[in-house]
Amino acid sequence: MEEEEMEKAVIAYLKKKGFKQTELALQEEQSKSSATTSQTGPEGAKKSLSFSESENGPAQYHEGYSKLRSWTYSSLDLYKHELLRVLYPVFIHCFMDLVAKGHTQEARTFFNSFREDHEMMHLRDLQKLEGVLSPLHLEEMDFAYSLRQSKINIKMCQYSYELLLQYLQKTQSITMLGIINEHINFQVSPGQPISISDDADVVTLVGSSQDTAKKINQKEIRWGLLEDSLEDRLEKSGGLMSDSEKADGESKEGDLEENKKRSVDGGKQGASVKKLKKDKVVGATGKTIRSETNTVSMAPRVKPELTLPVLPTEVEHSVLEDLRNRVQLGSLALPSVSFYTFINTHNGLNCSSISHDGSLVAGGFSDSSLKVWDMSKIGQQTDTSTVQGENESIPSENLLGTEDGKKSYTLYQGHAGPVYSAAFSPLGDFLLSSSADSTIRLWSTQLNANLVCYKGHNYPVWDVQFSPVGHYFASSSHDRTARIWSMDRIQPLRIMAGHLSDVDCVQWHVNCNYIATGSSDKTVRLWDVQSGECVRIFIGHRSMILSLAMSPDGRYMASGDEDGMIMMWDLSSGRCVTPLMGHTSCVWTLGFSCEGSLLASGSADCTVKLWDVTASTKAPKTEENKAGNTNRLRSLKTLPTKLTPVYTLRFSRRNLLFAAGVLSKSV
Amino acid sequence: MSIVPKETIEVIAQSIGINNLSPDVTLALAPDVEYRLREIMQEAIKCMRHSKRTTLTADDVDSALSLRNVEPIYGFASGDPLRFKRAVGHKDLFYIDDKDVEFKDVIEAPLPKAPLETAVVAHWLAIEGVQPAIPENAPAEALVAPLENRRSEHKEDAFPADIKLPVKHVLSKELQLYFDKIAELTVSKSDSVLFKEALVSLATDSGLHPLVPYFTYFIADEVTRSLNDFQLLFALMRVVRSLLQNPHIHIEPYLHQMMPSVVTCLVAKRLGNRFTDNHWELRNFTAKLVASICKRFGHVYHNLQPRLTRTLLHAFLDPTRSLTQHYGAIQGLAALGPNVVRLLILPNLEPYLQLLEPEMLLEKQKNEMKRHEAWRVYGALLCAAGQCMYDRLKLFPGSLTPRTSAIFRTNAKVVTKMPNKRKASMDHLQQVPLKKVATDGPVGMMPTISMPTGKQGGIDGFPHPSGESGVGPSSSGQVLNESISGISGRRDEDDGEAQKMSAILSQAWKEDMDAGYLLASLFELFGESMLAFTPMPEMSFFL
Repeated sequence: MEEEEMEKAVIAYLKKKGFKQTELALQEEQSKSSATTSQTGPEGAKKSLSFSESENGPAQYHEGYSKLRSWTYSSLDLYKHELLRVLYPVFIHCFMDLVAKGHTQEARTFFNSFREDHEMMHLRDLQKLEGVLSPLHLEEMDFAYSLRQSKINIKMCQYSYELLLQYLQKTQSITMLGIINEHINFQVSPGQPISISDDADVVTLVGSSQDTAKKINQKEIRWGLLEDSLEDRLEKSGGLMSDSEKADGESKEGDLEENKKRSVDGGKQGASVKKLKKDKVVGATGKTIRSETNTVSMAPRVKPELTLPVLPTEVEHSVLEDLRNRVQLGSLALPSVSFYTFINTHNGLNCSSISHDGSLVAGGFSDSSLKVWDMSKIGQQTDTSTVQGENESIPSENLLGTEDGKKSYTLYQGHAGPVYSAAFSPLGDFLLSSSADSTIRLWSTQLNANLVCYKGHNYPVWDVQFSPVGHYFASSSHDRTARIWSMDRIQPLRIMAGHLSDVDCVQWHVNCNYIATGSSDKTVRLWDVQSGECVRIFIGHRSMILSLAMSPDGRYMASGDEDGMIMMWDLSSGRCVTPLMGHTSCVWTLGFSCEGSLLASGSADCTVKLWDVTASTKAPKTEENKAGNTNRLRSLKTLPTKLTPVYTLRFSRRNLLFAAGVLSKSV
Repeated sequence: MSIVPKETIEVIAQSIGINNLSPDVTLALAPDVEYRLREIMQEAIKCMRHSKRTTLTADDVDSALSLRNVEPIYGFASGDPLRFKRAVGHKDLFYIDDKDVEFKDVIEAPLPKAPLETAVVAHWLAIEGVQPAIPENAPAEALVAPLENRRSEHKEDAFPADIKLPVKHVLSKELQLYFDKIAELTVSKSDSVLFKEALVSLATDSGLHPLVPYFTYFIADEVTRSLNDFQLLFALMRVVRSLLQNPHIHIEPYLHQMMPSVVTCLVAKRLGNRFTDNHWELRNFTAKLVASICKRFGHVYHNLQPRLTRTLLHAFLDPTRSLTQHYGAIQGLAALGPNVVRLLILPNLEPYLQLLEPEMLLEKQKNEMKRHEAWRVYGALLCAAGQCMYDRLKLFPGSLTPRTSAIFRTNAKVVTKMPNKRKASMDHLQQVPLKKVATDGPVGMMPTISMPTGKQGGIDGFPHPSGESGVGPSSSGQVLNESISGISGRRDEDDGEAQKMSAILSQAWKEDMDAGYLLASLFELFGESMLAFTPMPEMSFFL
């Protein structure tokens, strides 16, 4: 019979595609319908055909979903949370199917009737999806498109899985079954149901399939520090000056093998670092006091992949001097915070940046201007720089475009759109700014002039950051790419493409071999600077990423999002170490103290918070498997400001914390 | 189906000159318009975030439009957040009040002031983790975690726990209600049963700490405002006492704010505005309150008591102050203990009494009110001195023993004479409360530490004085006898003797032994009413 042939074809297709459940269901159906057909003949076949037709009707989605929902809610408590996870993907796919079939009205009512269930976890996704009203939108909107293209992984224990299948087959809700088969990938694990706290990564829907993310995260990462860094030299020489001739000029090719070896070692060393840290407490290692308490010194060393600039000797001197005078911070020794408040900005300040020694403060404005204040020159505030005593880079020439005594700042004009980001070079002699006019400009703080305009991005450039050694810089843009540049070329050296939405922030790894990017697609990615490949995807945030920071030992990364959540990531494993809850609004800025024991965060809720990093990174290690995410980073201190959202903060080399923000008028 | 109704599409179409838009087209357009709107808003929110703002402005929407290569909408740009007004009769319809502006007005208007230049100011947000209390920083936390709590928090650090950070200036609804209720009761219904309940609640409830700053402010405010309202003042002092009694409240940081209002209630010139207002009682109450504060926090604020006594002494020694103020000062000093009285009041007692005397006499002071006040002060002085003497006697029972019989004898005499005397001169002075205070004296002093040690000292020192001071007591006994015999004319003491008395009084604190002399000289000044303060239980014990 023709019908039988067709069914066979369908089964074959399903087999090929691996839709086992559908296959099962179909076979069941078939056996039933064959039973009926044997009795009633072609009429029955017709009936079943019409039945299947009606199944595709919009009402079926609504009914099927609401049934599934009520069944899930009334299921056994032990398995409920696992089954509940299925609901959200089913929900959004039901909605998108309805839209795709053109039942806009029904899709809308369906969406509104069940929207509340998922608002708590997925509010932002829902807000995005809400606007989708025609099949065309589905194609156009990346979020919806990628959702429809990918499968979602859901972990479940054996029993819950069976429960679900049984239910679906018993009630013959083919629509639901179809959706579940098409879009959900079950990872069935034997034994007890997984604890509720574990589902952080499960609930986040990512555009790209999670398999690829996982595959990417398998790649090796050399998170160690640069060989022969200044800190090394400080330790080796015991405070004496070492020669400045470095092996920087060595050819990269020659080091390749060594690099690989190192990277393998790096992984091993990573495991032993914890042990080393314990030793360190005992005080068995290290000749100088500093090295004993410094986590940085424990990190493995790697070779740079980029040719790095050579520091002038006198700069090196002053940096070493700073390192020698560094204050040790910890949970019991909190830093001093010097706060720079912008006043009378008339809502115009978009970003600010503080130079390493805190003597220069830059502000980027929405009127396309960039202003730089020399804090050491502002009368009353002289103490900040004199107390600091760090390498001063005061533009000694008379300031262009400023009448002394009238204006306290230097005005940099050149951009043709709001300035979204500014960054000082490590030595404070250059300033980068990025703007909505899709350009990046390089300014000299000594000449007070624009040196270069880098054109490459096609859309507003959200963020720009100098590499830790200077010379190179990275930018991120609305065009969904991040780019690596060097100061002497007007074309980008690398283009990192892969994010599904705007790249909102960018940050260099301490060893300059990687950059991290945070995006509106709620992921953070780590990219290899040399190859331009994505080497890590960090999934877990529930809203757009606004700030990133790398720990000085190169092992951890912190990211802050729009909702006030901060997450600590282990770069080598790609996993979230701890989520840090505490802020109630956007986390604009993050910063690690120089020896990596403290994390400072600044937020739109007008607070600077200090977190204990050592406690957070150690504790979860011991009970990683048991407690999972229940561990929280310890919040050490909350420093409220007076109606001043914190825009940026930075630890100086001597561990003084600088922060800046705009005084907002109370409404 | 779409939040953009098709009518809107039709209206817009008409506004750009398309009159015959078919319904199908509007239906198809409506959802797309909504989608585009949402898309623009999504981009605008991104722009807002990158401008590090949390309020969306018209500029953000313009940038979002330009991202999509759409011409921005002109005329809405504004440096400040737009001020929307709610349309009358619609719950969620808002509009911007955009008034017509006359060109002439604009042209003729003086030039606006140049906007202030953007500037950066620096300050210390924290120094080694501690926020300095400077105006640039947010006001300090209302709630300072007690030291013990902080310690325990540090101990708990071993396992990760959420440390509850004090939330500043956030009062729960309940606490706010509680505060309002208490304030209302204090102000208006301070004699109700409910207020008594409230006082008990204030003295015992554990969760009231966040309210302490509000209460201190409330009290200070009310006291300065309503010195005429006796009821209110008394109620406020009761609230203070309850707050002090509450063991869960960490009141030290607010003490400095509270003390001025309390001291005001003690030494103010006028408390209440009617004759019926028993401000004496309020002063007595407050004096006890002050004493209890000194006792409890004296070790924390070592300068608390010196400052207080200085204030009170100033009030006491200033002859220009009114008698009511003197009374308050004396009561306050007396409540601080017999040692304070001995050191500060007794040396000044003699000249002061000379000053006071004319005020008390019917012939010299015609004003009934003034006279009454003078007698009050006299009573307070008597009481203070008596207590002091009582304390002395208790401390050195040895000096008393041989003399007890004499005192007892005189006592018997006094009892018989008392009624007449009272009638004669003390008709305004209420003996009853005085007696009560006197009997309260031993009870109050018994539990204090000085008592057992004093006793011990007395017992240790017992054999020596009893042997040695055989002459002394007898002589003092003589003085006593003498004084008793000359009771009637005692007030008209000649000057020479008075000087001697004052010398004795001022020396009293040096010669700890001379309790007998003290008694005697006090007797000189006060007459037999002093004898009410000789410790009865002691006397019967020694008999």
